Amino acid sequence: MKILFKNIDMPGLTSLSVYEGQGGYQSFKKAFAQKPEEIVEIVKASGLRGRGGAGFPAGLKWSFLAKDVFPRYLVCNADESEPGTCKDRELLEKNPHLLIEGMILTSYACQVGTAYIYYRGEFQHAADLMDKAIEEAYAKGYLGKNIMGSGMDLDLYTHLGAGAYICGEESALLNSLEGRRGEPRLKPPFPAVEGLYAKPTVVNNVETLSAVPWIISEGAEKYAAIGTEKSKGTKLVSVSGHVKKPGNYEIVLGMSTRELIYDLAGGIRDDNKLKAFIPGGSSTPMLPADKVDVGYDYESIQAAGSMLGSGALIVMDHTVNVVEATLRLSYFYMHESCGKCTPCREGTRWMWQILGKLQAGIGTNGHVDKLLDICDNMSFKCFCPLGDAAVGPVASSIKNFRSDYEELVKKLQGGAVSV
Amino acid sequence: MSDDNQVNITINDQPVTVPKGTLLVDAAKEVGVEIPVFCYHEKLGPFGCCRMCLVEVEKMPKLTTACTQTVMPDMVVRTESPKVVKAQQGVLEFTLLNHPLDCPVCDKGGECPLQDNTFKFGSGTTRMEFDRADNDKVTPLSPVITIDRERCIACQRCTRYSDIIEQEQALVMLNRGFKNEVHTFCDEPYATRYSGNVIDICPVGALTNTEFRFKARSWNLDNAETLCAHCGCNCNMTLGSRTNKLMRIQTRPNDLVDDGWICDKARFGYDFIESEDRLLEAGTVVGGARKKVNALDAAVQVADSLSKIVDEYGPESVGFLGSAYGTNEELYLYQKLFRSVLGTNNLDHKTYQDTPGLPIDHYDFLNVETANLVLLIGSDPAEELPILDLRIKKAVTRRGVKLAILNDQKTALDKFAELSSTYNVGADGAALSALANGLAEGGAGDESVTGISAEQMKSLVELIRSGKKVCVVYNPASLTGNSIHMLKHLLSVIGKIPDIECGAIPAAPSTNAVGAMDMGILPDFSPGGTPADKGLSAMEMIDKAESGELKALLMYRSNPVVDFPGGKRVEAALKNLNLLVVHDMMETETSQLAHIILPSNGPGYDEGTTTNIGGRVQYRRRGLNTKNLPDWKIVSKMINSLSEEPVEYITSFNVTEEISEKVPGYGEINKKSIRKEGKTREPVTSVNGSVPQVEKVNSADQGLKLRVATRLFTRDKILSTSSPLAHHFLPSTVNVHADDAAKLGFSEGDEAVLSANGAEVRAKVEISNRCNPGAVIVPMVADDQGVQGLAGGGSVSWVEVKKG
Ligand SMILES: Cc1cc2nc3c(=O)[nH]c(=O)nc-3n(C[C@H](O)[C@H](O)[C@H](O)COP(=O)(O)O)c2cc1C
Ligand code: SF4
Ligand code: SF4
Ligand code: SF4
Ligand code: FES
Repeated sequence: MKILFKNIDMPGLTSLSVYEGQGGYQSFKKAFAQKPEEIVEIVKASGLRGRGGAGFPAGLKWSFLAKDVFPRYLVCNADESEPGTCKDRELLEKNPHLLIEGMILTSYACQVGTAYIYYRGEFQHAADLMDKAIEEAYAKGYLGKNIMGSGMDLDLYTHLGAGAYICGEESALLNSLEGRRGEPRLKPPFPAVEGLYAKPTVVNNVETLSAVPWIISEGAEKYAAIGTEKSKGTKLVSVSGHVKKPGNYEIVLGMSTRELIYDLAGGIRDDNKLKAFIPGGSSTPMLPADKVDVGYDYESIQAAGSMLGSGALIVMDHTVNVVEATLRLSYFYMHESCGKCTPCREGTRWMWQILGKLQAGIGTNGHVDKLLDICDNMSFKCFCPLGDAAVGPVASSIKNFRSDYEELVKKLQGGAVSV
Repeated sequence: MSDDNQVNITINDQPVTVPKGTLLVDAAKEVGVEIPVFCYHEKLGPFGCCRMCLVEVEKMPKLTTACTQTVMPDMVVRTESPKVVKAQQGVLEFTLLNHPLDCPVCDKGGECPLQDNTFKFGSGTTRMEFDRADNDKVTPLSPVITIDRERCIACQRCTRYSDIIEQEQALVMLNRGFKNEVHTFCDEPYATRYSGNVIDICPVGALTNTEFRFKARSWNLDNAETLCAHCGCNCNMTLGSRTNKLMRIQTRPNDLVDDGWICDKARFGYDFIESEDRLLEAGTVVGGARKKVNALDAAVQVADSLSKIVDEYGPESVGFLGSAYGTNEELYLYQKLFRSVLGTNNLDHKTYQDTPGLPIDHYDFLNVETANLVLLIGSDPAEELPILDLRIKKAVTRRGVKLAILNDQKTALDKFAELSSTYNVGADGAALSALANGLAEGGAGDESVTGISAEQMKSLVELIRSGKKVCVVYNPASLTGNSIHMLKHLLSVIGKIPDIECGAIPAAPSTNAVGAMDMGILPDFSPGGTPADKGLSAMEMIDKAESGELKALLMYRSNPVVDFPGGKRVEAALKNLNLLVVHDMMETETSQLAHIILPSNGPGYDEGTTTNIGGRVQYRRRGLNTKNLPDWKIVSKMINSLSEEPVEYITSFNVTEEISEKVPGYGEINKKSIRKEGKTREPVTSVNGSVPQVEKVNSADQGLKLRVATRLFTRDKILSTSSPLAHHFLPSTVNVHADDAAKLGFSEGDEAVLSANGAEVRAKVEISNRCNPGAVIVPMVADDQGVQGLAGGGSVSWVEVKKG
């Protein structure tokens, strides 16, 4: 079942004519014949959930927009900076018109007149491609004034960030887009009430918005029929790490993780043993190999103790020392902490310092316990979810692989390392 | 307040009822529960970054920050549960993780929230085993503020202050995460007019006062709760001294006056009190040389000499030039000496025209926030009354108040204004008249005279009419000729608009301008706005001194040679006097001409009340001891040496008591009533004159009209070249309109020579449309710039502007 990746490798798909040739931009007639609120209802009924990480129902989010307050904005989150995630990039680089179509439909539903795509700084190439595609869409009358006689106006702009993970968080993204420091904002007010320039704003992920045209064309029921009871539709999964065929795969939600790793991604490299996997991107807790049969959907992964997140499955084989992997991840969070709140700014660095000691074989069991206590002092006490994300790998690696830590501790006790 | 505006919650099992919208952290204070904070500051609002204030709320899955969470009905809050205690200890551990062990040498020690919170809520130990961060310890952000980056806990109070309160975004957070730092863009100095407040609100010793750093421990300071004496706001401040030496000046929040802030002139502009140029001794000039005399003997000598001149030439031959910098007590006594004892009405304290009293309410600062519209006339608060500037910005950015501006120059507040109209220099009377007519019966005045288009005038009229509550803020000192009467007429017209609530703030820049008028330092009014037979105004006294009709002048804290229009002419006139007495705290160009010198204590050493532009009377306490007599004792000695029934005052408050008895409006003013927040005096009566005629502006054949603009940081007797604020001094500059610059062939940065009345001033040309064509603006940047020498006085002055 391919919705997003249907024809993804078709040559020339980035051009408007090829895109139209395979059925693109056909959803408007159907959409514009209905009232904006009706489109919101359709997307609600489809069960489409946000693909940026939190999995929040898209239609429901749109219905939260402050009533009768205009202008409103739509912002597409193309910051894609969660380690392991590279699915938005493929959509952006290979099928820009799909996103444009999705954004036009969403703007119609949400009565938005100005929309932005916010790219991570490194996505210059994707943004260039998009600018060309936007130009074509303007020329064809899909963007601009009175789109296809519907009375709807829409301007669409691309904007590149300066390279900060935190700018993927929606309120920090809005700050950055406004030219301010990339730091998350206090919520409430949520963006739907006071977002960009303090106006009602919808922020959605690239993949979320790219799913909208199919839902409008094919109908909510058809989409809702795909997947599990609460995880509807298809999901792009970026599989990376020790698999034979890393890459992006579009799956029907609910497929078993084993199938994803062993069938789609070709199994573990050198036919090694699976040791651990991170199911949803670096921010989600890592799971041990015995959880590999978990269904790849929001609910099942949560029940297994982790999260589906942005859909980045990171696979580690038995050669991996989990402490080393955790050290690398903790470096990332220390580097990307925006510094606004104390527990995250200080805690990420402290954890990295302690992990460094452990990895160097000069740590003790006391350090491992201290790490757990620092995790506890950070958990749910930071300003934004990045702090919790930083806790995830550390806490889960100790919980599931404490033996890896103890092995390193023994090195010291056994005199293998002198302090 | 009705009940649905109140919310009931319990905090640590204690019930508390607070208004809707109250933050938990503030609600807790109501029942005496302390929730520790770092980043929260009530003037800055919720931010939530330090995480110090985590509390447990029943039914909420996570701990929540009490500084961002508003009360909800029936909330059950715990601030001492094991979960909260663990979180507090955790947050403090994180906060201290990389904090240096500086307490023993830190300026903040003893008054440090980080110390206090650690003491009360911390675990008492640390588990940090790594080297602490190694950051710069001494980085000047400006000549007056130094940051110790190791101590910074990144609470962002300072950067939010710069953003929210100053509306400058001058101080910002740069870099990310652990490497973030408080800085300015492009390494510019952090040099706003109110930068020093960040030192007070910094919850640690990161932002330090460069002058005060490492000078004294806070607990060893003697702190005087006093007032700033630099402008008409009269902000409350604390003067800290040690062994009778000034150490530092800090805010002393009074929401009714300063909203918790002081400007940098208050904080860093008091080194004059220990200046070498102070007049500390009384003296008489004999044969060109000054001879030291006892101050009381000198006072008696002054009284005798004045009285002899009155006997010989009549009371109209003597005069008093006071200043709006004296206290009410000092000015009241001088008024008594001249009016009651010597029998003259020759008293004044200013070179512009003004009358006491208002035809509408006298508003205080709070009304700026509660109004719907602030109408600013001829006023440049940023340069003249900096804390009023902050209050107006607050009103506009956080209280939804609209701002309309009517001025002859563009100012920093323009960008906050809904509408800003610029009238031609000298056309203030015509513009005010046009507005009054527009409000009363429609019409827009003559654009060719006012410089304001009919359209603009109409919008302004509309804005005022729809204002509901209008607060007019005007600077009488910026008005020319008799325009003050037109302004008062305008106020009564506004007062008559149906369904409008209104009041005005007479925003003269000088410290006690309102008090000076209330105390009757005016040629035509005795204290409390009571009309008196007209004596000579300040400029008339100069004229009569020149003609020889005025024989004696007593100058109290006034330096006409520099500050009055006329320059050399003023000097010559003063030299013509039989007797010139100067009672001042600094050696000035005028004191150099005096026959008798009396030392004045001035701010820091003096005590007494002042009345701010909002009509609020407050007590200025002595901060430092002096061997010299208080000014009021010297004046009282003069009075008593001439009176049949001498009155002895033991303290300055005895004079206050007499004021309270004798001065209409001051009946309720006494030591007790003004103690905490001061007290607004009752409005003094306003005399309703007839609608004045607009004075015709004489035109000169050549030249441009001159507008001298006030600057906060002027190199004068108060801020000398050695002042810590010297980096704010500007070179002599003339703002020329682009049209005029083109006609005169000026380019930006050219040297110009301005001449009039035989005086010349050199200035750098700045081409800016700060005023309408046909005029130039010269900011008064220094005493020795001599710009007042160009001015004619009274109405509009003309200058010739040539290439230099
Ligand atoms: C630290 C952090 C980083 C995030 N990065 C991204 C990102 O790169 N891309 C993204 O779409 N959402 C990201 N999010 C989630 C966004 O805040 C937001 O929930 C999302 O863009 C909403 O879109 P969706 O509902 O379509 O998923 C991030 C969230 C956090 C807390
Ligand atoms: S948890 Fe705090 S420091 Fe970390 S990214 Fe969020 S706001 Fe910034
Ligand atoms: S800021 Fe406070 S805690 Fe830090 S060194 Fe100074 S006194 Fe000590
Ligand atoms: S310098 Fe002081 S006020 Fe500014 S962020 Fe640091 S600790 Fe806070
Ligand atoms: S005081 Fe509440 S988070 Fe800082």
